[in-house]
Amino acid sequence: MTADPSRQGLSQWLLSEQPASRNQARLGQAWRIWLSFTSNRLGMVGLGIVLILVLVAIFADVIAPYNPLLGGDLRTERLLPPSMDHWMGTDDLARDIFSRVVHGARLTLMVVALVAIIATPIGLLVGTTSGYFGGWIDTVLMRITDIFLAFPRLILALAFVAALGPGIENAIIAIAITSWPPYARLARAETLSIRNAEHIDAIRLQGASSGRIIWGHVVPLCMSSVIIRVTLDMAGIILTAAGLGFLGLGAQPPQPEWGAMIAGGRRFLIDYWWVATMPGIAIFVVSLGFNLLGDGLRDVLDPKAQQQ
Amino acid sequence: MSPLLSVENLRIAFPSRQGPVEVVRGVSFELGRERLGIVGESGSGKSQTGRAILGLTPVSGKATADLLEFDGIDLRDATPAKWRSLRGARMSMVMQDPKFSLNPVMTIGKQLMEAVKLHGGKSEARDKSLAMLEAVQIRDPERVMAAYPHELSGGMGQRAMIAMMLVTEPDLLIADEPTSALDVTVQIEVLRILDRLVSERGMGLIFISHDLELVSTFCDRVLVMYAGRVVEELDAAKMSEAQHPYTRGLIGCLPKINGDVRPLPVLARDAAWLE
Amino acid sequence: MALIDIEDLEVVFGSGGRRVHALRGVSLSVEEGESFGIVGESGSGKSTVLRAACGLAPVTGGRILIDGKQVTSPRDAAFYRRVQMVFQDPYASLHPRHTIDRVLSEPLAIHGFDRREARVEQALDEVGLGKGFRFRYPHQLSGGQRQRVAIARALILEPKVILLDEPTSALDASIQAEVLNLLDRLRDERGLTYVLVSHDLAVVSHMCERLMVMQNGQVVEQLTREALQARATTKDYTRNLLTASEGFTRDPALQT
Repeated sequence: MTADPSRQGLSQWLLSEQPASRNQARLGQAWRIWLSFTSNRLGMVGLGIVLILVLVAIFADVIAPYNPLLGGDLRTERLLPPSMDHWMGTDDLARDIFSRVVHGARLTLMVVALVAIIATPIGLLVGTTSGYFGGWIDTVLMRITDIFLAFPRLILALAFVAALGPGIENAIIAIAITSWPPYARLARAETLSIRNAEHIDAIRLQGASSGRIIWGHVVPLCMSSVIIRVTLDMAGIILTAAGLGFLGLGAQPPQPEWGAMIAGGRRFLIDYWWVATMPGIAIFVVSLGFNLLGDGLRDVLDPKAQQQ
Repeated sequence: MSPLLSVENLRIAFPSRQGPVEVVRGVSFELGRERLGIVGESGSGKSQTGRAILGLTPVSGKATADLLEFDGIDLRDATPAKWRSLRGARMSMVMQDPKFSLNPVMTIGKQLMEAVKLHGGKSEARDKSLAMLEAVQIRDPERVMAAYPHELSGGMGQRAMIAMMLVTEPDLLIADEPTSALDVTVQIEVLRILDRLVSERGMGLIFISHDLELVSTFCDRVLVMYAGRVVEELDAAKMSEAQHPYTRGLIGCLPKINGDVRPLPVLARDAAWLE
Repeated sequence: MALIDIEDLEVVFGSGGRRVHALRGVSLSVEEGESFGIVGESGSGKSTVLRAACGLAPVTGGRILIDGKQVTSPRDAAFYRRVQMVFQDPYASLHPRHTIDRVLSEPLAIHGFDRREARVEQALDEVGLGKGFRFRYPHQLSGGQRQRVAIARALILEPKVILLDEPTSALDASIQAEVLNLLDRLRDERGLTYVLVSHDLAVVSHMCERLMVMQNGQVVEQLTREALQARATTKDYTRNLLTASEGFTRDPALQT
């Protein structure tokens, strides 16, 4: 039996040593990265977990058998153990925990996505600018970064939430504000090694502006290590969000946020273990998934790891 | 006289996505107490050949040979202990860049004396090290002994490196592009040191280089490698009588100070050379 | 009037106790259409001359004139359209994540050239690569092919002067010959002016009509190619370089 000819043709087209168009070159490059990523089994497991998280978040309404906010009969359906009807049991307000965990995926994903979208560009911009120009710009930007780095992350987030008021949006902003400094540091270190490269000199001699050099030439080279770092940090971000929720400073009841759910279940931990444990397992699995994905990405994208 | 080193049908393969790729494909030669040059372009397998003789093929690669014998010792399945007793003591290697081969946080003196101590002779370690530094024409050996590698210039570092490799008086020295990172004037000085050590101590030297002119003036015999094979073996003095089109092409495409050939002849590669 | 005039160029890197005086009063002038070589060993400041000329190294003293006009600092767009540079290491001088197409079209976009597609294809043809290379990434090319791309990039703005910083020292001998031939042909066809830096006297002698020997940031002497070939040098340093570049000479006392 031979492979499907159209598939084979596609793979050949993607791996062509002589691409005929910009898109083919770009897709081919992406395909090569994908091919080497697929050979990393743990990375694929991580990717699978993250994909499941995304799918669960999108189809939460379809997947969840019960309403996550409205409980059932308070007299008969409170704190039921896991069963066929309630896969993860019910909590003290007779709400189905499985449904709440499923809907909680949305909140978790929102936290992760928004923090990544806010913190990564700030970190990249500050880091590359400061590394590329050096001198007093570097000093000023890096001292600001140092100030942010000097505070323990959760404490600083606590202060922001206290100032802005509790709520999931403010928690996200607080986490984003506290998580960019490491990316800035990383991007700056990368930029310092890139800025004296001959290809940067070359584009400077083509008359390119500093903005064009930073954006078009330096950032793409810092990007992979920052993406790896962000992915590996996701576990910590989820934990921080859960921690804020747990302290009552993140998502507010009745929102099904995993951290807040653990906080709610803490009171019955001995007698009704599933109330706090089920969202805890969800946090654990998703954090693990991001860590595995990050490790896999590092193996593929990081040039230093490739040499070994 | 039996040869110092015999290599027969040496093959080195590295795995790749398309299956193993042979970078050295059946190299055979014998070395006496002489200067043997191995010349080739990048990718010809010359460096891998040198490393395989010292058992330094990278772990991903696999080296096989019908015969790999150093002074009557079969090297093909030497144990790590055997290698330790041979490397440094009886066979050494000088690499291209001294910066990567010297320990940056140890003084030159300490590294030199360590090499002496490892192979016996603790008491006279210091005297021997100083004498060796003098032998490689370092004018102020006391100062160099106390210096860290980064405090030395390229030429000085390379000399210290050679001193370290030679302080145990090995029988075989493999020099892989030992002077390519150096300026021409320094390069000649370093070669002069190597040359004297060969003639005075009767050491066998394998000199690996891409520089045909240098090898032909420095060595006694030259192996020309192309794509993992030895395509021609020559007396260094008879370089101009080279037969193989690749060797002739290599000689021809070099610009010369006095020559005015324009355009320069270009090497036309022939697929038949791969066979 | 010379096309390039450099007078008493001084370059100092760093400050305080770590000051390095890289160039001490270097003067040279290159006529239009000429090929001028700079030879020296590492640390002689030969590359710094090129880097200072195009604004990559700080000029602390002296003047640089192109076409009789002093260059501005920072250099303006017109300068970059007249003067371009080819770097030593073809593995470092191309952005690893950009296709050849992007490498070549970016300068066109910066300077607002028209017919970009056609210019990119023409540039690839001129350096002997052809259209098939246009959408490849640098890692898909050999060292010699990369250096051809670097040359195409330097040529695409149609400059008059090309500064060549050891353009073949990272290449194998057979590839070096091809690249030198290409540079020779392009100079003929386009009437370019070259300033070539190299540690290899043979390369400079092959490529340049006039040359300058440098040591420790200073000019040792200027020679014509004929003078070099006739070994008509007055300086010991140049003589040493010439002897060393002829390969190893055995000490007669040690001949056995």
